[in-house]
Amino acid sequence: MADKKNYGMVIDTRVCVACSACVYACKSENSIPEGYCRDWVVQETNGTYPRLSMENRSERCQHCAKAPCVIYCPTGASHYSEDGTVQINRSRCTGCKACLAACPYDARYVHPEGFADKCSLCKHRLDKGLETACVSVCPTTSLNLVDLNNHEEEALNMMNGKEVYQQKEHAGTNPSLYWISARNKPGA
Amino acid sequence: MNHGHDLNRRDFLKISSLFLAGSAAISSQVGQALSSTNTAYAKDDREKVVHSFCEHCFWRCGIAAHVRNGKIYKITGSEHHPLSNGKLCPRGTGGIGQIYDPDRLAHPLIRERKGGTSNLRKASWDEAITYTAEKLYQIKEKYGPESIAMLHHGYGYTFFKEMFKAFGVNKFAKPSYDFCCGPRLQGYTMTYGHGSGTPEGIDIMNSKYLLFFGTHYGENMHNTAVQEISEGIRRGLKIVVFDPRFSTLAGKAEKWLPIKPGTDIAMMQALMNVLISEDLYDKKFVTENTVGFDELWAEVQQMTPEKAASITDIPADEIREIARTFASYAPAAAVHPGRRTQWYADGTQRVRAIAILNALTGNYKMPGGVVKYEKYKLPKPEAHPHPHFKKEVWSKYPFFVQTKPENSITSHEVVQQTLEEEIKAWFVYGVNVPETITLGRKTAIEAMQKLDFMVAVDTLPMEVTGYADIVLPECTYLERYDDLDGGRPYRTPFVALRQPVVEPMFDSKPGNEIARMMAEKLDLHGVFEDSVETYLDKRLKKVGSSLEEVEKTGVLVGEPTNLYRKPDEKLSFKTPSGKIELASAQLKSAGFDAVPKYIKHPDPPQGYYRILTGRKPMLTFGRTANNRFLNELPTARENEIWVNPRIAKKHALSHGEYVHLKNQAGIVSEFPIKVKVTERIREDSVYMVHGYGHYYKKLKWAYRKGASHNQLISKADIDQSIGAVGFQNNFVTFIKEA
Amino acid sequence: MTETTTEIISTKMNPNVVPHLHIWEWHIPIYLFLGGLAGGLLIITAVMIVAKRYFGIGPQDEGEGCPCLAVRLGSALSPILLGIGMLFLFLDLANKFYVWAFYTTIQPTSPMSAGSWILIAFFPMAVLQAMLVNKQFLRKLNIGIVNKLISWTEDHLTLVALLNAHIGIGIGIYTGILLSFFYARPLWSSSILGMLFLVSGISSAAALMLLFAPKHEKPIYSKIDANALWIEMIIVGLFVLGGITGPANTSGAMMHLIAGDHQLAGMSYMLWFWGGFVALGLIVPMFLEFLETVGVHIKYPQVAPVLVLMGGLILRFLIVFAGQTYHTFM
Ligand SMILES: Nc1nc2c(c(=O)[nH]1)N[C@H]1C(S)=C(S)[C@@H](COP(=O)(O)OP(=O)(O)OC[C@H]3O[C@@H](n4cnc5c(=O)[nH]c(N)nc54)[C@H](O)[C@@H]3O)O[C@H]1N2
Ligand SMILES: Nc1nc2c(c(=O)[nH]1)N[C@H]1C(S)=C(S)[C@@H](COP(=O)(O)OP(=O)(O)OC[C@H]3O[C@@H](n4cnc5c(=O)[nH]c(N)nc54)[C@H](O)[C@@H]3O)O[C@H]1N2
Ligand code: SF4
Ligand code: SF4
Ligand code: SF4
Ligand code: SF4
Ligand code: SF4
Ligand SMILES: [Mo]
Repeated sequence: MADKKNYGMVIDTRVCVACSACVYACKSENSIPEGYCRDWVVQETNGTYPRLSMENRSERCQHCAKAPCVIYCPTGASHYSEDGTVQINRSRCTGCKACLAACPYDARYVHPEGFADKCSLCKHRLDKGLETACVSVCPTTSLNLVDLNNHEEEALNMMNGKEVYQQKEHAGTNPSLYWISARNKPGA
Repeated sequence: MNHGHDLNRRDFLKISSLFLAGSAAISSQVGQALSSTNTAYAKDDREKVVHSFCEHCFWRCGIAAHVRNGKIYKITGSEHHPLSNGKLCPRGTGGIGQIYDPDRLAHPLIRERKGGTSNLRKASWDEAITYTAEKLYQIKEKYGPESIAMLHHGYGYTFFKEMFKAFGVNKFAKPSYDFCCGPRLQGYTMTYGHGSGTPEGIDIMNSKYLLFFGTHYGENMHNTAVQEISEGIRRGLKIVVFDPRFSTLAGKAEKWLPIKPGTDIAMMQALMNVLISEDLYDKKFVTENTVGFDELWAEVQQMTPEKAASITDIPADEIREIARTFASYAPAAAVHPGRRTQWYADGTQRVRAIAILNALTGNYKMPGGVVKYEKYKLPKPEAHPHPHFKKEVWSKYPFFVQTKPENSITSHEVVQQTLEEEIKAWFVYGVNVPETITLGRKTAIEAMQKLDFMVAVDTLPMEVTGYADIVLPECTYLERYDDLDGGRPYRTPFVALRQPVVEPMFDSKPGNEIARMMAEKLDLHGVFEDSVETYLDKRLKKVGSSLEEVEKTGVLVGEPTNLYRKPDEKLSFKTPSGKIELASAQLKSAGFDAVPKYIKHPDPPQGYYRILTGRKPMLTFGRTANNRFLNELPTARENEIWVNPRIAKKHALSHGEYVHLKNQAGIVSEFPIKVKVTERIREDSVYMVHGYGHYYKKLKWAYRKGASHNQLISKADIDQSIGAVGFQNNFVTFIKEA
Repeated sequence: MTETTTEIISTKMNPNVVPHLHIWEWHIPIYLFLGGLAGGLLIITAVMIVAKRYFGIGPQDEGEGCPCLAVRLGSALSPILLGIGMLFLFLDLANKFYVWAFYTTIQPTSPMSAGSWILIAFFPMAVLQAMLVNKQFLRKLNIGIVNKLISWTEDHLTLVALLNAHIGIGIGIYTGILLSFFYARPLWSSSILGMLFLVSGISSAAALMLLFAPKHEKPIYSKIDANALWIEMIIVGLFVLGGITGPANTSGAMMHLIAGDHQLAGMSYMLWFWGGFVALGLIVPMFLEFLETVGVHIKYPQVAPVLVLMGGLILRFLIVFAGQTYHTFM
């Protein structure tokens, strides 16, 4: 078992109800300015009446292992942290926005105070051994914090036998967020 | 968009000088609570966490309020409270938007009439309470105690109820009885001898197959129920949803059946028909534990799946298949009773049909079926002496609930008696009457204008306060003690404490203090203990605990109850027959149907659509309408009118366009509403979330956002057995903006 | 297949990110335009200097080793315009106090980091060239260090000019590469963009020189411009073709540009692209320059170069904006 952490999330869209509790929890935990968000909720409905299907999911920065935002950041402000997350050093960020243009997930924004900002995977909480604010509030336990270095124990168990996908996998970003598809049959 | 700062400064100051405390104090509060300039990770040793319970809906989950620099900066789910398990629904996190709402009521207000106009002016507590006591006293003297009614919703009402009882007044009405859980309570009780409760007694997480009629969990965001459903899904629960609209829950369902609205009973009858005719029901259970099977069969025999198909728009094969699957999973299968069960005049019978469907499967007290939770054994507070009441129950309806002392009459009867001038004074605690009493907004306003005297206790300048003679600003649930939440049955019985997290802001006061002040003015002695703390401590000492102890975690948790019956356990039910009543003799003898019957509801007139309503996960109607924190999300800012694409085309409506709505009686919505063209709804119905379209300008945020559902209600159907009010026989059409 | 619809509701609300990216406004297209112009000027002037020196090609010198007026002005304008461009770049930074952070690190994978260093490398050489070609004037000031620098450059002129031609190409291409590295933005993610911006920079530079060149110097710039324009035409063609024949992402983005009804200053992208850029910025001036070269003189010789310059500016605006208003890589 690797000592080094490599945090990610397994997000179970079968149970998410798009309630947005995760968004509000993030906003108060991280003092996100009004009109901004680090995570957001998508409700996608497909089909025509009466044959419809739905997927709900709570999205945020994917903490890519090969992160275009880090690759294109001219100052090193955006960087990989040793726990597998992607972080922004506010005291090196010029607000040039290259990282915003680079992110295939549109996960970032420019904070009104000038620096680029996005989901930190609540690093300040991870460092204290706590779960992220969004994970801990989620009433459906759709959000699961996992250490991908302990893959077989937590994440694999959760994903075993189910249809799981990564978003824009072909973008080559190697995202750390895994999605259990809403198409799975109950109890899969 | 920066709501914290988009207050019009001049407006704000103008109003603040009239209604609010120091404007500087308020703007800095709001500035800090709602703006972002304070960095997240600033270290502060004075951070503290207070455990209490939520008031953003009536589920009352445990919360943990986190305070830094004297301000609540976040609210999380209490780890200790069995209804939250550390988790919250979005509204639970939203208390910061309520406590730091810049529009809050900050001072008592008194109506002052000058010439033809009247105005609410600032008053001191002493003046307001003295005036209130005098008026109530005069009215009681002149017209008798039955001329005073208290309307209440929300958990702080208990102190006022005690005060009024000591005063000799016991006309208490709670709108949720009429419009939501009355039928469920009574329909269930008439069948099983007990209610379904909050949380509902369904073993959701262990169930294999659940049927929902309308109940839209996921949008109806009752925390624990949503937690259980998601756990159920992980364990393999299959869900079937009958709803004219593709709700979020329908999105989770194995089957979504877009049933024609108003035909649920026909569907339930057809399901019973298949269960019985195909011998799929639990015969042993039915024989041993129910009465009225033959009567039931006599009634449902005619409702073949084919007949039901023509009524409900659901194919007969589907009906058969669902009934068979349901039976195959029984007893780990159930029909959920729902919460807002009053849609038409047949809510009680509809709930009875649900209860009967459950009974046929023999799922009573079985894993995954209907269960009966237990309460924490917390003794009721000792009743203090009060004058003799002329009547214990004032409602005229024969099956009005007799067992709930907080309810002695229905809300709509209070309105009717006011129009008939029997009632002269209202004391309104936490009910936004014009947007809640669903005999329509117009009728509610007419009633209020007939009153001699009206008091509103509220936290915000909601519409109701605009009609009151006295407005008493209560502090929010985060700034006060209330009575213990101890009477509710649950899987894990508990007693929860509401306690202040921070001091009351402005000149607002806790309900317990307001009630005490009134009792003193009215010369009523011995109603309250010296302090609310003493009262709570005494109650808790009776179960071997203390206020000091419970303050730590906010909750006392009992042993998990054994929910399931033993193999040969003898069951008894508190019904007249001692059995589950498939046919109800008491209903029959009072002239009602012993067995639920399908009765056709009117179809919409040509070009009109039935107006359905429901909830948004992040809002609780009026309660959160002005909550800037919760309303910030793009999906929360306004309500929309859901329209099927074929209907949109017919009326040349485009997605995102604003229209006015006009109901069958010609009432036109005051504000326009955004059109949502969606495949997610039937062609004969439209849908809008209740709680928008506020018309009181003092609600600076909520004013004019979306359209009011209640304004479009002008027809009410009253369930003559229990007195509940259905309002889904209202229809609307669209008026395009000029 | 039955018809299906997709309904997406999202709570995302970050300004300048939803409903679509809008992080770069007018500053960046202007910077890219001025950068391209500066590069183009440097390339043309450097080549002209070498051509004159070694092959005697080009307009009459002004004497004392000073090249013609257009080269002198062009050399001086190149670093000045780039400086102004960088000012716009600076103005665009959301966190201006941290601009130093660019120059305390080298991020080899970041085109912006590379660019910020190229920009620094650009100035010394360009300034030397500008000084040399204007030595007539500078010598009069008689400043020791300036004189020394001029003498040094005089001795190494070929090297400096050739280096400058390369740096100019570098800057020109860089303005396109900067965008094309962002593969998350399908419109930008085209390797032709570098060439397109380079050639457009050259045509704009030629047009600018044509504007201020005295009458006898004009024909040469006319010729350069006409040639740059038709090359640019071909590259635009390749850019568009490559786009629409590409995968769904790319073709969608290209259609968004060339047939899109998204508005920019009240006019659709489609109109801007075909009318503003292709017709008025390329075809019309090319036709006018062609007439000029075959000896048909038109009454207002400024029309063609002004159109070319406008076309270059429109191109930068269009690419920067349309690249943002189209959704990310799917
Ligand atoms: N987030 C949030 N949650 C809440 C509340 C809130 O304000 N906000 N309020 C709480 C309260 S007080 C209540 S009462 C509950 C209400 O919540 P529920 O009890 O779940 O409400 P219902 O009215 O049963 O359900 C509304 C659904 O019924 C469908 N429907 C309408 N007519 C018919 C019909 O004739 N037949 C069938 N089968 N379906 C129909 C509608 O399309 C809609 O999807 O929610 C509670 N939870
Ligand atoms: N048209 C229409 N009408 C409906 C419904 C519908 O769907 N459509 N739903 C019905 C249902 S199911 C229900 S349960 C009822 C709910 O009806 P209400 O309980 O009346 O609903 P709210 O609009 O939340 O009004 C609550 C009032 O309490 C105030 N309040 C909030 N917190 C406090 C507090 O701590 N202290 C005091 N004193 N006041 C407080 C709020 O400011 C608000 O004025 O509405 C019913 N009416
Ligand atoms: S809190 Fe959980 S259920 Fe709610 S939207 Fe977020 S992920 Fe989904
Ligand atoms: S999702 Fe975007 S911001 Fe997050 S690591 Fe990947 S590229 Fe960077
Ligand atoms: S905005 Fe900041 S973090 Fe993003 S690329 Fe520029 S310097 Fe790096
Ligand atoms: S992990 Fe933390 S920062 Fe990221 S979305 Fe969740 S709450 Fe926000
Ligand atoms: S369900 Fe939500 S709003 Fe209701 S009490 Fe629980 S946390 Fe509060
Ligand atoms: Mo309700």
